[in-house]
Amino acid sequence: MKKFLFLSVLVTMGFLFAAPALSQDWTSFKEASRNIRSVKADFLQKRTLQILTKPLLSEGKLFFYTPDSLRWEYLSPLRSVMLQKGNNIQVYNFSEGKWKPEMIQAVEARRMVLAEISRWFQGRFDESKAFKHTYSPGPPARIILVPGEGINRFIQRIEIVLSVRPGVIDRVEIEESGGSRTFIEFRNVVINSSISSEVFEKP
Amino acid sequence: MIHRKGLDICFLGFFILSVGCVSLSEKTLVPGSPDDLPGCYAVFPAGPWESVYKLEATIRGGGSFSLLGVTKGEPSERRLQSLLLTPEGFILFDAELRDGEMAVRKAMAPFDSPAFAGGLMEDVSLLFLPPKDQPTGWEKKTEGTMICNWRGPDDSHTEVTGSMESGWRILRRDKYREVIKEVILKGPFVNGLASRVELHAFEPASYRLRMTLVQSSP
Repeated sequence: MKKFLFLSVLVTMGFLFAAPALSQDWTSFKEASRNIRSVKADFLQKRTLQILTKPLLSEGKLFFYTPDSLRWEYLSPLRSVMLQKGNNIQVYNFSEGKWKPEMIQAVEARRMVLAEISRWFQGRFDESKAFKHTYSPGPPARIILVPGEGINRFIQRIEIVLSVRPGVIDRVEIEESGGSRTFIEFRNVVINSSISSEVFEKP
Repeated sequence: MIHRKGLDICFLGFFILSVGCVSLSEKTLVPGSPDDLPGCYAVFPAGPWESVYKLEATIRGGGSFSLLGVTKGEPSERRLQSLLLTPEGFILFDAELRDGEMAVRKAMAPFDSPAFAGGLMEDVSLLFLPPKDQPTGWEKKTEGTMICNWRGPDDSHTEVTGSMESGWRILRRDKYREVIKEVILKGPFVNGLASRVELHAFEPASYRLRMTLVQSSP
């Protein structure tokens, strides 16, 4: 469960880091990441599993408002949402016609992960204890994240593939231990628009 | 010849999600026509298959969770592999059942107890694999509905009733003939898999599981 949480947030933050794709310069990249206030996007997730001949497809929406408000919502095949606003973290599943709190909120685990990611968001990659990063100018430009001891039991590598459009990434590729992979493609990306605070408070 | 054993079970107060009493009478059957025997297996997918179901589980006390259930079956080897995934696709549980032997490859809390693994694979087996031996009795009614009974090695009983047109019901009874699990399978059937499944478990743990087919392939 911790890993999943980590992934969700990581992908979101990776999205934000993608802002300075055109700069091709690490210093400019970090500087540009400070100019992002909000992100809205749709996403399509393709999950390949060894057990399945066809990938498992999921669709959802992402909302982020700096510094620490996040809504990561799956619309299909399962409808669920993770909400973060400050230190408050909630997870809901839509079942039998209504939103229900997830049985296992794992709030502490989520908080720890988000704190880690928050450092990255501020361009403080060097302070990350979970991942070592490299920046590849491409094209396409990529940020490659390699996990340290512990997380590498679950994740082998994450690549954030940047779009040529500033502030936008094309996709995130997550390679897991055991051969499974996850691709998340972002669509309809909107940067720095206003987002109601309710988006991060209510499912 | 059919003998009806009156057995009305009132689950109200025991199974909080049920409303009223459930009447699950048992029919004692004798072997029927050999031509009808294949009908006893129609509810179970025949060839290799894989499926993704949306799972909505509610346990006694009102707790609930939603997950994805991925299962791959190889009936000729009596082999099933099942995964539980979060909505995001993270694997919480991975186990394989091969000819009655279970191997758990991955199990994360709260799905990491041996009892859970055994119960889950028992459910998957009940849904997708016919009992190993031939039915002890079966009957095909005039409208095409099949009624089939199997006796298990532990003196449990499995009863399958229905048709591909009307849907199926599977009952598992313990050695005291009390229903411990009830499964309702509704069509349309895709690659031999029901589009909707509802499983009620009464003993030893009480829970309800609703399954909706998301994708399948032979």
